[in-house]
Amino acid sequence: MHPADEVLVLRYVEDADQAAFSTLVNRHQERVFGYLQGMVRDREVANDLFQETFLRVIKALNKDRGSYTVQGKFLGWVLRIARNAALDHLRAKKKWQDVSSLNGEEDTSYWDRLPDDGPSADVQLHASEQNDLLRECIERLPEEQREVLLLRHESDLTFREIADLTGCSINTALGRMRYALINLRRMMSTTAISDLTEVGQ
Amino acid sequence: MENGKKDILLHLYGDSTDASDLRTLLKDEELKTEYATLSEAKFKLDHMNKQRPNQAVIDRILAAAATEAGLPDATSRRDRPAIGRNTQLKRVLIPALTIAAAIVFGIGIGWFSASPESVSPENPAVAEISPNDPVPPESLFRFVPSRQNGLTQASTADPRLAWDEAATIQDLHRRIEDMRPTDRLDWGERAVPLESVPGSNGNGLRLTGQKK
Repeated sequence: MHPADEVLVLRYVEDADQAAFSTLVNRHQERVFGYLQGMVRDREVANDLFQETFLRVIKALNKDRGSYTVQGKFLGWVLRIARNAALDHLRAKKKWQDVSSLNGEEDTSYWDRLPDDGPSADVQLHASEQNDLLRECIERLPEEQREVLLLRHESDLTFREIADLTGCSINTALGRMRYALINLRRMMSTTAISDLTEVGQ
Repeated sequence: MENGKKDILLHLYGDSTDASDLRTLLKDEELKTEYATLSEAKFKLDHMNKQRPNQAVIDRILAAAATEAGLPDATSRRDRPAIGRNTQLKRVLIPALTIAAAIVFGIGIGWFSASPESVSPENPAVAEISPNDPVPPESLFRFVPSRQNGLTQASTADPRLAWDEAATIQDLHRRIEDMRPTDRLDWGERAVPLESVPGSNGNGLRLTGQKK
């Protein structure tokens, strides 16, 4: 039987058990990283935010021990830190976009105007596998819907935990999830139809 | 959101606790279509590949965790000198050397006690002898080992022993000569009755059964 998160946290904090912390990171890396990548839509940025998240976790556990008090909610606590890091990044990115708009330039962000040596979006969709197609569709979802979907499917949180983390009611979380699923299915159907059309041409 | 659609979603994700029975809900055509639509999207999401961060990121996090917890990380553990091994060596070596020294000391003491040169209470004549002390007669016929004392030094200077001409010994020798009887009995003669010994009148001695 695997030790619970709380047991591992205690081993790390009280006994400086590095193996216990390693187990925690390995156990939750997909849940946290999947959420971050889905939110920021960039693997390198997601790696940076993942590292920043766990560095904050380490600091909090060793120096600000009072910050982690909710027993049995280690993943929720880590995801709250990850969410703050992701929102900070998205706000900073939006600030760049706003500055560009105020300067009377095109309604595209600085990052969007960087030269792109990669293939076009359509070609990329054709080349990608079904999994990549699904991720593309998730990235195109509205942010609130995307966040609930990621917290449910990547981080395995319940709808109540999602509601607590995002600061909304459970009905709102369920509504966002429902719209996310409906929109996702519609986008994938549209993509599949366009694929068939292009193949036919 | 309608309760029926909410219940459909809760059933779909297994979070339904007190929601109405799914079969009852699916009798409604609109809810049935909703369930099929959501199920299709959920199925794809359930089979989506999980993503992991780069291994280098994990390594950096674990190194930071070791540093913050006050532990040497893997790298520093490889580079640091083997303090632990030295300590362990000392822990074994010091008692072993102590025991070995004790054994050698014990063997040395035993060898010294067993050797003829050793000074012991059973040999006081040798142990307490000094060049100025008079030599007792009973020690004359004992073996006296060669030692770096006054006796040895005298014998090396003169072949005669130092006590050969001691006044005490000469005086003792004279007294022994004076005590020796003039008419000695020959140990090889037959036994002579006491009455027949010259000068014996029998006053002092009585035979068995003789009356006064």
